[in-house]
Amino acid sequence: MTSVPDSIDPRAREMIPKCKILVIGAGGIGCEVLKNLALSGFKDIEIIDLDTIDVSNLNRQFLFRKEHVGKPKAIVARESILAHSPDIQIKAYHDSILSSDYGLNFFRKFNLVLNALDNRTARNHVNRLCLAADLPLIESGTAGYSGQVEFIKKGITQCYECQPKATEKTFPGCTIRNTPSEPVHCIVWSKHLFNQLFGEEDPDQDVSPDMEDPEAKVEGQISETDTGNVKRLSTREWIKEIDYDPEKLFNKFFFDDINYLLKMANLWKTRTAPKPLLYKDAEKMTKQEKVQDNVTIREMQLLPIAEYVQMFRDSVATLKQQLDNKNHLVWDKDDNIAVDFVAACTNIRAQIFSIEPKSRFDIKSIAGNIIPAIATANAITAGLVVLFAFRLLVEQYEKCNFVYLRPKSIHSRNILAADTTLPKANPNCYVCSPEPFVNVFVTVEKMTVLEFESEVLKKHLNMIAPDVVLDGKGVVVISSEEGETEVNNSKSLSELGIVDGSILKCDDFVQNYSLTVAINQYNPLEKDDPIFKVVANPEDLKAKEEEVKNSKEDTTSVPEKDPVKVGISQIDINSEDPQEGPSCKKRKIEYAEAEDSDDDLTEVPVTIPMSP
Amino acid sequence: MGTNQQLSAVESELYDRQIRLWGVKSQERLRAANVLLIGVRGLGSEIAKNIILSGINSLVILDDGIVSEEEQQKNFFLTRNGIGKKIAEEFIIKAQLLNPLVKLTADTSDPTTKDSKFFEGFTMVVATRIKTEFLMQIDKICRASKIKLIFGDVFGSFGYSVSDFQEHEYYVDQIKIFPIKRSHSGISTKPVNEIVKVKDQFIFPELKEVLIMPNTKQSLDHIKQIRKMNPYYYLMLILLEFRNRQGRNPEISNKIKDVELLKVIKKEILSDFDANCVESKLGDDLFELVFAEVVPVCAIVGGVIAQEVIKAVSGKEVPIYNVFLFDPLTFTGKEQPIKTTKQH
Repeated sequence: MTSVPDSIDPRAREMIPKCKILVIGAGGIGCEVLKNLALSGFKDIEIIDLDTIDVSNLNRQFLFRKEHVGKPKAIVARESILAHSPDIQIKAYHDSILSSDYGLNFFRKFNLVLNALDNRTARNHVNRLCLAADLPLIESGTAGYSGQVEFIKKGITQCYECQPKATEKTFPGCTIRNTPSEPVHCIVWSKHLFNQLFGEEDPDQDVSPDMEDPEAKVEGQISETDTGNVKRLSTREWIKEIDYDPEKLFNKFFFDDINYLLKMANLWKTRTAPKPLLYKDAEKMTKQEKVQDNVTIREMQLLPIAEYVQMFRDSVATLKQQLDNKNHLVWDKDDNIAVDFVAACTNIRAQIFSIEPKSRFDIKSIAGNIIPAIATANAITAGLVVLFAFRLLVEQYEKCNFVYLRPKSIHSRNILAADTTLPKANPNCYVCSPEPFVNVFVTVEKMTVLEFESEVLKKHLNMIAPDVVLDGKGVVVISSEEGETEVNNSKSLSELGIVDGSILKCDDFVQNYSLTVAINQYNPLEKDDPIFKVVANPEDLKAKEEEVKNSKEDTTSVPEKDPVKVGISQIDINSEDPQEGPSCKKRKIEYAEAEDSDDDLTEVPVTIPMSP
Repeated sequence: MGTNQQLSAVESELYDRQIRLWGVKSQERLRAANVLLIGVRGLGSEIAKNIILSGINSLVILDDGIVSEEEQQKNFFLTRNGIGKKIAEEFIIKAQLLNPLVKLTADTSDPTTKDSKFFEGFTMVVATRIKTEFLMQIDKICRASKIKLIFGDVFGSFGYSVSDFQEHEYYVDQIKIFPIKRSHSGISTKPVNEIVKVKDQFIFPELKEVLIMPNTKQSLDHIKQIRKMNPYYYLMLILLEFRNRQGRNPEISNKIKDVELLKVIKKEILSDFDANCVESKLGDDLFELVFAEVVPVCAIVGGVIAQEVIKAVSGKEVPIYNVFLFDPLTFTGKEQPIKTTKQH
């Protein structure tokens, strides 16, 4: 007797017990997918996930229980499935899919790949391997009530990287350091402060007043020696010297530095000036004036400043102890003390700048980029994934249009909506077009080979282990073989003969991906321009600049009578500071980076195509 | 129901990712909810899983069936050792592990023997696999005691749900963005985002006005008035009428006979509703797709129904009014509103 469903295509019924399936990710969607596969008669499954189980997973990742917390997801998921269906072949890997152990030969074993991932890096990587192995891929994701399922195959559909995805949200450095106006600015600043005090030092995460703020400079009253910029050089040593004395720390960051800011009088002509706060005065602020309706959970309450001072003092003391055994600490949303520190600093700084305070609960959401996740949306999405699988096994590609799960609204009757055609590949895609090609705009005298490798090839173009040869000259610029080209690392591109018009042949053996890069000389005009640009088609450059302009205008003209509904978690992330001039240095907000450990992250498009 | 509905630290940690979506108030309401689920087969087990995970107070599983080999293979919460035993009892052993905070009870009696007293203690009733006559009785009882009711089934690759939340008040959080204001002093304030609770109410018709079965002498006018009726509405009625007549769902072992009967019922129903125009969209080949329960479809319809339970209990978010139909060909799922004549 078999559990292959009766009411599906008879050819699919035949294929199901014979085929081999790879499931990547054993989180929210992965658990559901595994269950659906096992109950639908699939007999040969492999599952890979590098994550371990956390308490906050248990509300939806139903293959796991409290006693499994801390154990590898892939291993426990396999055991849970086998407890129900002991005769399934299921192999589990507690590992990263990015590892070179899972290259083309590994992928070629499978008939079908099901993604249940939580980050773009892994999604891009799997996309490339499936293109290389010519395997059908089902890509899926959920966020809150929403979800989506997409079928991808070389030559049939667009690939995962055909459409440029929204980039990380950034804030101008001077907004963070000098003129915060929203809670999120204080949160970013507080996370930077955490890194300054306890983490790895990063010059991009300076927390002291920025005297180079173009707005402030007009005044020209403050001499360079008088600035925080000079002082900051010895911040870390000074912290050690005062032995993390909370009062001295507090007074430096919340009193002295604020007084510096006040000297930049130009900044405060159109803004409410900040009010420097001394430790001894903050301790006396025991009243919380804002009315809160009936909040029962302490984490969700707004507390008086005095309590945040205590939270600051206590968390600094604990973090200092943690630092004793380690070289540096890494901020983690699941570390309560680290969250306490950021919550306390955020609300103290918010008080100084007359910004509305936020509860610790909300601060954790924003600082940790927590995406809400529920069992039902994952179940529905994973159900669709396996229905797609039935069809793809028998190559019914045209019946696997993009499906979206949307929360029911009064404006729409669609809960599950589908596209009516498969999206066509972008002919300029630098991943799936027959001859992948991009233009890189860079200052060849300034950028080093190491920067080119880590920033351009790895971070931006998502390669894992690139080999780079200068075309026509046969110069090996970068080798994935350890030790072969280390000597080039500190050299500039021009020193290796890479100049405007040079062609680089870049190869990633893990991804079986070859990319031709044309080098274009480019000199950033203003100090805040990006140090490089990557463009498939130079025409796109203009289009993007237009877009930036338009979006700037949009943010300033949101009509009051037309409220925009978005998920709660997006409140602060979506708001822009339309007052900020374009010449401020943009900095990355690190909550958007891959530190998120939630399983269900997706990029849900803003526009929802509906079937007619 | 207890008066102390504050969430403990353990609960706020466990439910963190969903509290961040629907809020503490919803979680507290869930925590106070006592739900009855009738039928714990493919679809029922998916619904149960999702609402147990959500953190309701208690769930009673009412099913008088026995675990068969086939049932075990399609139900993740049944083990091979349980084959031959009572399905409701076997189910709760494994399902309890999903969430030890939820009180689970198995009831193995015949659902049709239950009187109105039995139903009165629940916040919400979820019914699957029952005949429409019994469903209408339950609806009547639920209405008298203001208990919300949702009913649904999966037939092969097709599935649906039908809700009767009676007079249902709900709210949604909307974010209102106020533009920048410049005061006379020249200091401008930031644009402020404010969360506004928008309240609304839906009045659901009785189920006998929504599921109008042949020979019940109900008026069909309000159904006939509906423009662009989703053709799967009729497929739902056909399958329900099949169950009413045969006392079971279509079976693959009786496929030829069962398909013949489905065709006969289809003719009757389409002509009752003057709906022969949907014939082309409701071809007889669809009947190939209605046997047994396709597990991923149970996951989809079970996910939708569980989310409606959460909406009904929490009073948050717009519920489906009142019929949900899953399209087995395009994998789309749509709301089909059915209103009474008065509401038109």
